[in-house]
Amino acid sequence: MTEIRRILTLARSDFSYFFRTKWLMAVLLSLNLSDMLVVALVYKNMMSIDYMKHFVPAVVVMGLFAASLDTGRRIWLAFREGVVQYELSLPISTNGIVIAYLLAGGLAAMVYSSSLLLIAMIVMPGAIWSAVMLLPFLFVLATGLAGISAAFAALASTRGEFFFAYQQIVQVGLLTLSTVPYPINVVQNVFPPFLTAIVSANPLSQAADAMRNFTFAGYPIEPSALLGILLSSIPFTIVGAVAYSTALHKLRVKGKL
Amino acid sequence: MSKIVRLVWFDLKPQLTPPVWIVVQWVVFSIQILIYGSLISQLFSPNVTERIGEYLKFYSVGLVVMMTFEIGSHTGRHFVEHAHEGRLPYLLSLPISRSTLFLVIALQGGAELALMLTVPLAFTLVLLGNLTIISVVALVFTLFWLGFGVAGLMLGLSFIAFKSSDFYTAIVTGLSTVIIRFSTVLYPLIFLPASYAGAAMLSPLTYGSDLVRLILGFDPSILLDPRIAVAVLTALAVSTLSLGLFLIQRLVEGVKSA
Repeated sequence: MTEIRRILTLARSDFSYFFRTKWLMAVLLSLNLSDMLVVALVYKNMMSIDYMKHFVPAVVVMGLFAASLDTGRRIWLAFREGVVQYELSLPISTNGIVIAYLLAGGLAAMVYSSSLLLIAMIVMPGAIWSAVMLLPFLFVLATGLAGISAAFAALASTRGEFFFAYQQIVQVGLLTLSTVPYPINVVQNVFPPFLTAIVSANPLSQAADAMRNFTFAGYPIEPSALLGILLSSIPFTIVGAVAYSTALHKLRVKGKL
Repeated sequence: MSKIVRLVWFDLKPQLTPPVWIVVQWVVFSIQILIYGSLISQLFSPNVTERIGEYLKFYSVGLVVMMTFEIGSHTGRHFVEHAHEGRLPYLLSLPISRSTLFLVIALQGGAELALMLTVPLAFTLVLLGNLTIISVVALVFTLFWLGFGVAGLMLGLSFIAFKSSDFYTAIVTGLSTVIIRFSTVLYPLIFLPASYAGAAMLSPLTYGSDLVRLILGFDPSILLDPRIAVAVLTALAVSTLSLGLFLIQRLVEGVKSA
């Protein structure tokens, strides 16, 4: 068996674990669908903008984000329950394990968010081809977000409460400092320029804006927007991969973290 | 009494050394109010703002009610986790009555609620500018009553967990989201479409949040009748806590550890 096949086997196992976690599916589906079909609709009647048009595409990105972050929980569980010792005993390199987890995290998030995208398209018709074109870029974003989560799992590998605390703060921080819930002009009116720049550079903002403009508003896809998603996501993937790989290497050499 | 205090402390201690979760709840609350709340409230149309006041204030009260719900629900889930981790059989073997054990669970939930809500509640009261003794006492009492009701509801559902822990967690977490979204926590009843308003009337959070808002001086015309809200919250707390007490007397024996 080649290294690539081993990576794919491990990735497939982690990918199926995500969809077999019943409580996680219940949380994600109830949260994202109720955001799309209840919160967006009620707010639409109360706001000065068409909030459905703004928020429904963003819920797809929120789903992608939440599903990607679960990669960190699975990595942390593997550390805590000793599954990682078994994985290190397999005929696969340390980097192979890292790649397998990031690949599975990115893929699971993309499959999950694609199902949300289909529901969103029933609620608000959009351009299917633009959505298909965006998928590879969303996959890169998902691996980046999985990387953030992997980095926290590696940092807090022995203290569960710290991992979940980091994850919650990052999740809330990244979502609130993005254009997922509100348009950029509102952010500009309230925040100083440096915070507005952070909000614009946030990969979630870039993905949500691309989803709104290209898939649902029907504007032609701009390569610069896609490049923006790549450039803002890849650093997170690299940082996460390095942090997780370092933790695995330490575990292999010292036997503990 | 010392036994009760010792057992409450036994459960509470792991959460306070260090108090990571409490601080995280405070930080998350601050981010949600100072960033999300301030920005989202800019989007509301002037006629809505005229009717309900500044949305940031409406949202901050909703957030406190949501936190109360989450903490109350956590108390119920905690009980199930203990049952499956083998801690419950140990507690059952102690020389205390079942009703005392139930009181310990309720007090532990109450203490957790008090610790986690201190800062968010103080912040909300300052934001609203409503700091009279009567309003603070009535508010704390309402939130605890709601918290006990929710904890009792989750304890009442725990019999499912004794068959399948996975299924219980899926039901409880899914149900929690639906209870929050189909309620007046984030938006007043008058702005809900008719089909959603019916579902919102079934959510205990609708009554809890409307009562809390009434105490804090919101316009009563956008809220439910407080007499109905008090009656529903009381019925919920009494019935679910009685069910929990019944379950702990009869059904917890022989729960298998995971």
